[in-house]
Amino acid sequence: MIEQNKLSSLIAEFNGVSFRYPGGNDVLKDIHFSLEPGSFHFMTGESGAGKTSLLSLLYLNALPTKGRVRLFGYAVDQLSRRAKAHIRRQIGVVFQDFCLLNHLNAFDNVALPLRIAGVKESEIRHHVSELLAWVGLEKQMRALPPELSGGEQQRIAIARAVINRPTLLLADEPTGNVDDAMANRLLRLFLELNKLGTTVVIATHNQGLIKQTNFPQLHLSHGQLKIIPSQKPYVDMASKLFNRGGTHD
Amino acid sequence: MINKTNLFFGSASDTLFLAWMSMIMAFIATLILAGGLISYATISDWERSVSGAITVQIPTYDREGKPRGDVVQEDVETALMILRTSDGIKGATVLDDNQMATLMQPWLAPNTVIQELPLPQLIDVEIDHAAPPHIKQIQADLAEQVPQAVLDSHRFWLDSLVRLAHNMLKMIGFILVLLTLTTTFTVIYATRASLTVHESVINLVHMMGANDFFIIRQYAWHSMKQTFLGALFGFLLAIPLIIGVSFFLRTFSNDTALAIGLTSWHWGILAFIPVILAILGFLTAYKTVDCYLKRFL
Repeated sequence: MIEQNKLSSLIAEFNGVSFRYPGGNDVLKDIHFSLEPGSFHFMTGESGAGKTSLLSLLYLNALPTKGRVRLFGYAVDQLSRRAKAHIRRQIGVVFQDFCLLNHLNAFDNVALPLRIAGVKESEIRHHVSELLAWVGLEKQMRALPPELSGGEQQRIAIARAVINRPTLLLADEPTGNVDDAMANRLLRLFLELNKLGTTVVIATHNQGLIKQTNFPQLHLSHGQLKIIPSQKPYVDMASKLFNRGGTHD
Repeated sequence: MINKTNLFFGSASDTLFLAWMSMIMAFIATLILAGGLISYATISDWERSVSGAITVQIPTYDREGKPRGDVVQEDVETALMILRTSDGIKGATVLDDNQMATLMQPWLAPNTVIQELPLPQLIDVEIDHAAPPHIKQIQADLAEQVPQAVLDSHRFWLDSLVRLAHNMLKMIGFILVLLTLTTTFTVIYATRASLTVHESVINLVHMMGANDFFIIRQYAWHSMKQTFLGALFGFLLAIPLIIGVSFFLRTFSNDTALAIGLTSWHWGILAFIPVILAILGFLTAYKTVDCYLKRFL
């Protein structure tokens, strides 16, 4: 059913994409780019440049007003609701404002994508506990989001985005509320997932993070996209970071 | 841990409205339906007793108080012939003195000699309930051939009462339909309000790849649970009231027709009210959320 419409093996493909909110001007103008499987990109640009809108198109929260978006090879405007839901389950998103459910504890927030995917409870318990321990929140498992600090909430949001090993990981300012040590630790998590095959796009203002890893940038300015390639040949950034003496468990 | 119904409903604040409304609806519906069932049983009982209670009187004295003599026996035989040849009548028997005495016992002093009283000859008519007789035709035949005979049938005056009761049953049905509609609109309102409150959560879950059924199920189960619990409570609250009224009627009313209580069948029907409301809550919430989700990509 869904396989019939698949045309390419690219994770995402934007052709002449423009986007505007109802009654507004174009936020994105004539965007062309593609994401190869297993690639890692930073998304940069001033506030209001259109980063969040571009991410919205990538996680199927909006459709382009012009042009065509393909995700996992499928033209998104031709997908059924069921097929869209299926594709969304392959995308992990870290929202800028975390979007945690305040009435669910940390464990249940992280477990949510797995429950939506219908994973068995025994597996959920195992995976969620392990990941929460990895992000240093094993003791706050039963805490509700309002009881946690901004940094802790952000780590829960990240854990929730990566818990089901997404094919595409999108993160909007994922290190905005954490200190440098934790930012490095989270970056290592993203790099590790990337090593395992996850395509990663991180929207950030953190130049330090970009310089450390030297991945290509999707730079947005006034709705236009410019791709800034890697300055140096690719090196195994994960290994590099792990060997820095970070607190790797 | 979350289950299939509490993803959107962490706090009880937005859940109580539906439960309270269901409780009130079920309470009213139970009382009204109980009234309807009792009315129906009463009407049936009336109709049974009316169609089974026909008596023909042949006066033994004329209007001046003089004995009518042998003509009484002739009238009795003519009346018996008319009755026995009419459709819908299984048999007709003249009551003897002993039967008359038994019939009159409550009104007579002990040792009263019944033959000394100016009592009419009574013919007890046995009706075929499967094919009841045409009472007016029998009455016309009797009036023609035995003008003195009096046909006692409660049907004439009870017919209008039964019609009234039937109209009352229709009214009860109408009120129950109104209650059903009110409950439906209540569920729609409560569900829509809840959807508006939880729009961001729904959007988030939707973005995580939850299909429509995952979200619909949360609401539909929640609605069903709330309407069922509320309705069950309303039903339970109505029970003592119904029992109390039935007890009062049986104890203090001389009218046996009003003293009819609810049978186990009736209670069984009433017990379905919470179930029906729960199903209504489930289906209404299901449809409401299904329509709502169409606005999401």
